[in-house]
Amino acid sequence: MFLKNYRTVILVGAVVAVALILLSYNLRYDTGTSVLKNTVMEAAAPVQKMLNTSVSGVENAWRRYIHLVGLEEDNRKLKRKIAALQEELILYKEGNLEAQRLKKLLSLQDTYPHRFIAARVIGRELSIISKTFWIDKGKTHGLKPGMPVLVSPSLIGRLTDVSWHSSKVLLLIDENSNVDVLIQRTRVQGIARGAGSRGCVVRYVSKTQDVREGDVVVTSGLSNIFPKGLLVGKVSYVNPTDAGLFSKIHVAPFADLASIEEVMVLAAEQQERDQGKVKEE
Amino acid sequence: MIYYILLPFATILLVVLQITLADIFFSGWLILELTLIAVIYAGFRLDLVKGITLACVMGFVFDCLSGAPPGLFTLFYLLIFLLVFFVSLRIASEKLYIIAFVGMICSLLESLALVLLYAFVFQLELSGDVLLVSVLQALLTSILSVGVFYAMSRTEGLRYGKTIQASQRTWTGGVSPKT
Repeated sequence: MFLKNYRTVILVGAVVAVALILLSYNLRYDTGTSVLKNTVMEAAAPVQKMLNTSVSGVENAWRRYIHLVGLEEDNRKLKRKIAALQEELILYKEGNLEAQRLKKLLSLQDTYPHRFIAARVIGRELSIISKTFWIDKGKTHGLKPGMPVLVSPSLIGRLTDVSWHSSKVLLLIDENSNVDVLIQRTRVQGIARGAGSRGCVVRYVSKTQDVREGDVVVTSGLSNIFPKGLLVGKVSYVNPTDAGLFSKIHVAPFADLASIEEVMVLAAEQQERDQGKVKEE
Repeated sequence: MIYYILLPFATILLVVLQITLADIFFSGWLILELTLIAVIYAGFRLDLVKGITLACVMGFVFDCLSGAPPGLFTLFYLLIFLLVFFVSLRIASEKLYIIAFVGMICSLLESLALVLLYAFVFQLELSGDVLLVSVLQALLTSILSVGVFYAMSRTEGLRYGKTIQASQRTWTGGVSPKT
């Protein structure tokens, strides 16, 4: 009867007493790891592992997402930077190429004892009937019709029409161009006439004359238009067996006429230049 | 019977989850006391035998996995369960603020007991942060208790059509004939 009336109190008291005894015993004797504790830990290990794996997965995915967001922004910035740098690089390259070309042009002044005026090509007309350039210098800069135009290392033509601020250059390869030339090695004279895409054809050279492919052709200075000794080109084809009295000789200009951007106009002989300087003084 | 079979596994899962979440959210500084809330919930909703079993198992598993001296949390949880159980028999309804208050008091009591035990039994000098941590812990437990009780009430409502109020329970967990 007593047990029935107070069973709840007894149950509670007993459980609390057991818990207290367990705690006191463990605090007093430090039992370490018991079998029961080991069992709980063994059972918890897979759960812990599974949870950690899941949490790590989510954490990694989140970090990757954050990283990707940052990466996208970085990518955008880098692309902008690359574009800016590419523009800068193009400018530098352009400047470098221009400097090289100008250096090459200026080297003409060391090669030839003449006064040169540098000019920029502002237009070109390379049609079937005409092979001409327009340059940005004219009468006001001291240019006159007939002045030879050079690009390192050789002659490319002469001025035909000169206005105040621009001039027209008739190229060597124009059909209307005729230049007195001589073969540098044998001093054989002839007239180089423009032949379009074939370069120039040297006329009036006798079949008996010694001309070979690779011979350098220079101006002879006979016509008083071109000074003597300006490089014109190289013999690219010789056919002495051709019908007629003269050999058929093709000359390829030294300069690449398709990619000229700056030219030098031979304005005066060195003597004139020196005289000019004396006058100025 | 199924309750007693599943209880240890559910307890292990809950304790591991509690430790993992505490590590993620607070780097171990605070603990999401899910086990304590489970004990409080048991005090309000379960009968004495089931509740005592839950408190003992949960306390023991927590002891094993947290590194506390075996029996420490077993005793704490048992006492908390009994406290909540007797309180629940004397309150008319389960208002959420009462749950919050009980949760906070239980957490504070647990912290106090731990501090006293470590101070007097292990002779350890605890730092001044203990008070702050205890208060924050109590607030967190209180908020979580409200959340858990609300969620469980909704679940019970969906399953049984109504919740089992504390006033309707007897010592053995059955519904009082007066109601």
